[in-house]
Amino acid sequence: MLWYKAWLETRSRFLVSLVGMVALPSYWVFHEDGLGTRLDWYYRTLHNGHGLLSAMWVLAVILLMMGGLLREKAAGTSSFTLALPVSRAHLMRVRILFGLAQAMTLIIIPWGVMFLVAAATGNANSVSQAFFYVILLAGGGVVFFAVALLVSSVVEGEYTAPAVCFGILFLDIVAFENGPLTSYSPWTFLVGTEYFDRASQQLAGPVPWVHFSANVLAAILLIAISIRAIQRTEF
Amino acid sequence: MIDLPAIETSRLSKSYGQMEAVRDLNLCVTANRITGFLGSNGAGKSTTIKMLLGMIRPTSGGGAVLGRRIDHPAESVKLRRDVAYVSEDKRLYGYMTVEQTIRFTSGFYPGWRSETAWLLLRKYELPPERKVRSLSKGMRTKLALLLAISRGPKLLILDEPSEGLDPVGVEQLLESLVSQSGEGTTVFFSSHQIEEVERIADRVCILDHGRLLMDLSLDEIREGYRQIDVVFPVEAPEREFRLPGVESIETKGRQLRLLSSGNTDEIVAQARALSASEIDVAPVGLREIFLRTVKSSHALV
Repeated sequence: MLWYKAWLETRSRFLVSLVGMVALPSYWVFHEDGLGTRLDWYYRTLHNGHGLLSAMWVLAVILLMMGGLLREKAAGTSSFTLALPVSRAHLMRVRILFGLAQAMTLIIIPWGVMFLVAAATGNANSVSQAFFYVILLAGGGVVFFAVALLVSSVVEGEYTAPAVCFGILFLDIVAFENGPLTSYSPWTFLVGTEYFDRASQQLAGPVPWVHFSANVLAAILLIAISIRAIQRTEF
Repeated sequence: MIDLPAIETSRLSKSYGQMEAVRDLNLCVTANRITGFLGSNGAGKSTTIKMLLGMIRPTSGGGAVLGRRIDHPAESVKLRRDVAYVSEDKRLYGYMTVEQTIRFTSGFYPGWRSETAWLLLRKYELPPERKVRSLSKGMRTKLALLLAISRGPKLLILDEPSEGLDPVGVEQLLESLVSQSGEGTTVFFSSHQIEEVERIADRVCILDHGRLLMDLSLDEIREGYRQIDVVFPVEAPEREFRLPGVESIETKGRQLRLLSSGNTDEIVAQARALSASEIDVAPVGLREIFLRTVKSSHALV
């Protein structure tokens, strides 16, 4: 039943995000016909579409993860939830797994639609390129997912938690962009700047599984801290 | 056979920095009875209840609910299967409808009584399709009560249950609690409404500044407690009445008002021996006992 609750709690935010993320990047790719039929131009367009999708995804995931027990405490419903015969770890597990499922859906469906549009309008139909982009978005995005979870687990207040999250996102973009630490930036990773080859307008090289795994490990650590924080919080 | 207490705490304490919200609380709530938990605002009632349900960790001491330790997370989950809790503000998920809330809650309790839920839904006139966020506080309270009763709990804990209810709602609430007790459910409820406690409770615990001041049955109170008014021809000799059984003394010139929890005959004899001109002994209500007990406690603090 906690899955049912999670769905009812987030469905409006999720569906609005999904519709927006399917429509806007696909529309962008569909109308970006600048240099006619040059294939590299379409891949460039796809890359830009990915950037737009990434920005929308991070914002959507931050907003989707702004729930949980601390938010319920502010709303006054945490007493009801905590009186149910389930552990806090179980509550967190459901929230994390459901949130991850939504986050992944927000990658796969919008990216799939955008890819189909790009393939139909400009023959940019490389599945391996699409896969590469999806892996980058998932691998970098999982860090933002975990940051949003952690912030919502330690920062109380309806508006404070998202504000802190957006602050962290802004800090990541500003502080790591073009500096010596740019390789460590989840944002740089997920938009694919480092792997983008300007000559071919495509992502080049092998999929960076090591960097991907490092991001996933960092996210797991943040998630574990979030669970611990909620277990220790007094309501 | 002696029933295990439904709630038992031993030197249960909770501090927030320098502030002691609950101090060395030794509480024993008898099973299958209705126990009223009285106290002023900030007395520590809600903190105690939250500790019982594992929402707050005790600073020291411990306790058990239905034989399960309250400070052990796994035990706490198990005890919550048999406990229903209605919180003070009765907030439920605003994004769910009444029907969705009932369906959601029912999933956690194998012994869920759908027929009871349906009956209460009609009795309380709750609209199934209405979102919880658009319900009044009174309706939310009724829904919270429906959810609590329908799960068939062994122990029902309610924090200020009648707050926000109209007189009809209060009557329905009290009827429901009595009926639950009749079915073998232990009811433990905190309240400011002394009349409600006096009407339905078998036992009363009074908490003030986090300390348990009184834990007695209503029968013990009715039989033992007396208000003794004494008038003297000269100034009242207050010191002479610091006797066993005297709970509080109020002096106004030549008049003395005593609250006794027993030993009334000896107190009256003492008044006569001190040449009292008038002695009046009367039974005393819970309101008076509560107010005088809390007042004495405040004087000590």
